[in-house]
Amino acid sequence: MRRWLKPLRVLLAVVFFGVLSAAFLDFRGLMPTRLAHAFAAMQLGPATLAAVAGSALAAGSVALLLIVTLLFGRVYCSVICPLGILQDAIARLRPRRRTATRFAPENKTIRYGFLTSALLAVALGATGVAFTLLDPYSHFGRITATLGRTALVIGNNTLVPAAQTLGWQALYRVPPPAPPLGLVLFATIAAVTVAALALWRGRIYCNTVCPVGTILGLLSRVSAFRLTIDPAACTKCADCLRACKAQCIDLRAGRVDASRCVACANCLSACRHGGIAYRFAWRRTQRAPDPQRRALVAGALAVPPLAALQAVAAAPRRAPVAPPGAHSATRLLDRCTGCQLCVTACPTQVLQPAVFDYGWLGFAKPHLDFERAFCNFDCHRCGDVCPTGAILPLALADKRLTSVGTAQFERSRCIVETDGTDCAACSEHCPTKAVNTVPFRDNLRLPAVNESLCIGCGACEFACPVRPQRAITVTARATHTRAAQAVEARPQLPKPTGDFPF
Amino acid sequence: MKTSRRDFLKTGLALAATVSAGRFTRALAADVPAAPRTILAAVRDGTRTAMLDRALAELGGLSQFVRPGQTVLIKPNIGWDVAPDLGANTHPELVGHLVKLCRDAGAKSVSVFDHTCDQWQRCYATSGIEPAVRDAGGIVVTGDDHALYRPVEIPRGVKLKSAEVHSLVLDSDVFINVPVLKHHSGSLMTGAAKNLMGVVWDRRFYHRNDLHQCIADFLTFRKPDLNIVDAYHPMVRNGPRGRAADDVVELRSLLASTDIVAVDTAAARLLNQNPADIRHIGLAAAHGVGTTNLDALDIRRVKLA
Ligand code: SF4
Ligand code: SF4
Repeated sequence: MRRWLKPLRVLLAVVFFGVLSAAFLDFRGLMPTRLAHAFAAMQLGPATLAAVAGSALAAGSVALLLIVTLLFGRVYCSVICPLGILQDAIARLRPRRRTATRFAPENKTIRYGFLTSALLAVALGATGVAFTLLDPYSHFGRITATLGRTALVIGNNTLVPAAQTLGWQALYRVPPPAPPLGLVLFATIAAVTVAALALWRGRIYCNTVCPVGTILGLLSRVSAFRLTIDPAACTKCADCLRACKAQCIDLRAGRVDASRCVACANCLSACRHGGIAYRFAWRRTQRAPDPQRRALVAGALAVPPLAALQAVAAAPRRAPVAPPGAHSATRLLDRCTGCQLCVTACPTQVLQPAVFDYGWLGFAKPHLDFERAFCNFDCHRCGDVCPTGAILPLALADKRLTSVGTAQFERSRCIVETDGTDCAACSEHCPTKAVNTVPFRDNLRLPAVNESLCIGCGACEFACPVRPQRAITVTARATHTRAAQAVEARPQLPKPTGDFPF
Repeated sequence: MKTSRRDFLKTGLALAATVSAGRFTRALAADVPAAPRTILAAVRDGTRTAMLDRALAELGGLSQFVRPGQTVLIKPNIGWDVAPDLGANTHPELVGHLVKLCRDAGAKSVSVFDHTCDQWQRCYATSGIEPAVRDAGGIVVTGDDHALYRPVEIPRGVKLKSAEVHSLVLDSDVFINVPVLKHHSGSLMTGAAKNLMGVVWDRRFYHRNDLHQCIADFLTFRKPDLNIVDAYHPMVRNGPRGRAADDVVELRSLLASTDIVAVDTAAARLLNQNPADIRHIGLAAAHGVGTTNLDALDIRRVKLA
């Protein structure tokens, strides 16, 4: 067992990391939405949110993850969490010699301080913000989607000319993602912090900052299988310490701190004396944690700023349009962790991360950006991939009737009125014909909006050529509704005469 | 290569004239007009492929247009992410068959693209055109890459004086335009001339600066060598995207001609529209790029059933 545990762990980690990275990097829409969703939905943070929102499947996966932890310890952190695996990959870059080799005691104040503040924030109704700031999967998503994906697309675009001269048609240029600066900054800070901590001290981030790690750590104290030092065989050579990324092996005391051990099995492979083993140790419950008063105070101190953040979430100038399936911006903000999976899955790139469009609380959450594109009528990828239920999956027939906004036509700006020439770019693009045209002077056709048919997809706004202010714009609906469906008789003209009309 | 094809045609005609001259000098002097009239092939009541085959035969065969070793561009309408039965895009069967015919005629390469309105990969796939072209041995190229467009001057343009045009239009030896015939809520009809909006980068410029004039102006820059209008089941309302499959009417027709204005004039009649109401048709005729006078054409009306 000591031989194959680590390779098995690495293999599984590569699969999870590979699929999730591919989901966030995929700029050609090749990733099946089911696959991306399945792997994202196994993440504890999103799954918990989805479970609370009533998804039985998500509740099942939360239960499964907790049971796995109770049985085997924090394998989640070593195998399933992409941010954890990313840290392992980064930590490999440091020179072997300089690997920290000492046992480091747990910093309870910081560790439980983060957990308490996260829990308090959730209790106070700032769930969306707490998850955006602290959920590891969502950090990974933002880092990969904003930094990795952009780099990949630029790389792709640089290679295209060479590929084309070689007559290789498989590559083509795609517009670079261009995420908003605020998000790039945020993701960069997160990436640099995580990378620096990983280079410095392995899994220190997971064992002090990450609330998911802390919660799983509480469970793994009593897990059935644990890494256990055999005092008879152990020579105290400290080979295991050099291999341990969590610095949780206390040789002096002859025990492994199960709450910080991520069950990576590195020590098993490193030990030449059979001094450490992964064994059934259920009875030997480690001392219960005592999240000291300091931690509680630290956590409580973090809450007022969060509450203040919520208070200043002033109404933005033009309310952003939430994607179909979100139901309302309020609901979206409450459930979305800002992981960017929907943004990367959106084929038209109309779905963009907000900076302060929704106010402070909506940072990194998706909105429809009609400057860039419009929502594709026959698409509902965002709802299909979303792991938290912030964007619910919709059957295509329902998506086509889900109204997220309404179009307003401003005739005084319309080219047909101002220039006296035909245009109808809006009506041309409208998939529901909520904007149609009516005969106007001089054999012209003027747009007219039927609000009951409009789904707020923004095709009309995107297509409208009038600048600086467009002649047709979409206003967000506070709560999404169901649009009416046009009923038309079969068309009569032209009558198929069986002859040529010329 | 383009000129070489025209030269070839001219030489061919001259040769034919010389040969005939010897034999029927007298008869010829009386009957043959100065120039042969442009042919407009109008075919009805067949399958899409059969109608295309027949139309091409009426025009003297595809070898009149595509010679071995040439690069061919086929420009269908692939504007929308909708299935073939909605009639918003040129039918994939027609496009695929045309690609195959071009390959059979010895074309070095047959490329297909459109600067779509909906997201391009989805349009290419859902329209069925991407698989059809691939299967027939053609190449699908993106129309969504700005770097593939080159700026050109359009000296005779009234409103459209310059544009960024897809390099395939500029570089291909043969340019075949294969629009689908549709209703359009703005320009009343989408046919051959309107389909060419899909070869320029900035479509909004057209809308902002007199749509009809721009459509006509582009033709002074480049006319397709051949226009084939897919009127098998034209969309007669809610165009150009369409809302449902019953927006189309089954006409089972196909038009083909080298004269883009004539083909649109006939197409308008198929849609029960007055060609005079569709401004770009008249403006194109005013530019001298074709004629709206169908009587001046050699119309080959063919019913296959
Ligand atoms: S439904 Fe609209 S917003 Fe969502 S992924 Fe599709 S195009 Fe993007
Ligand atoms: S009117 Fe505009 S926003 Fe409404 S359905 Fe049509 S294109 Fe979409």
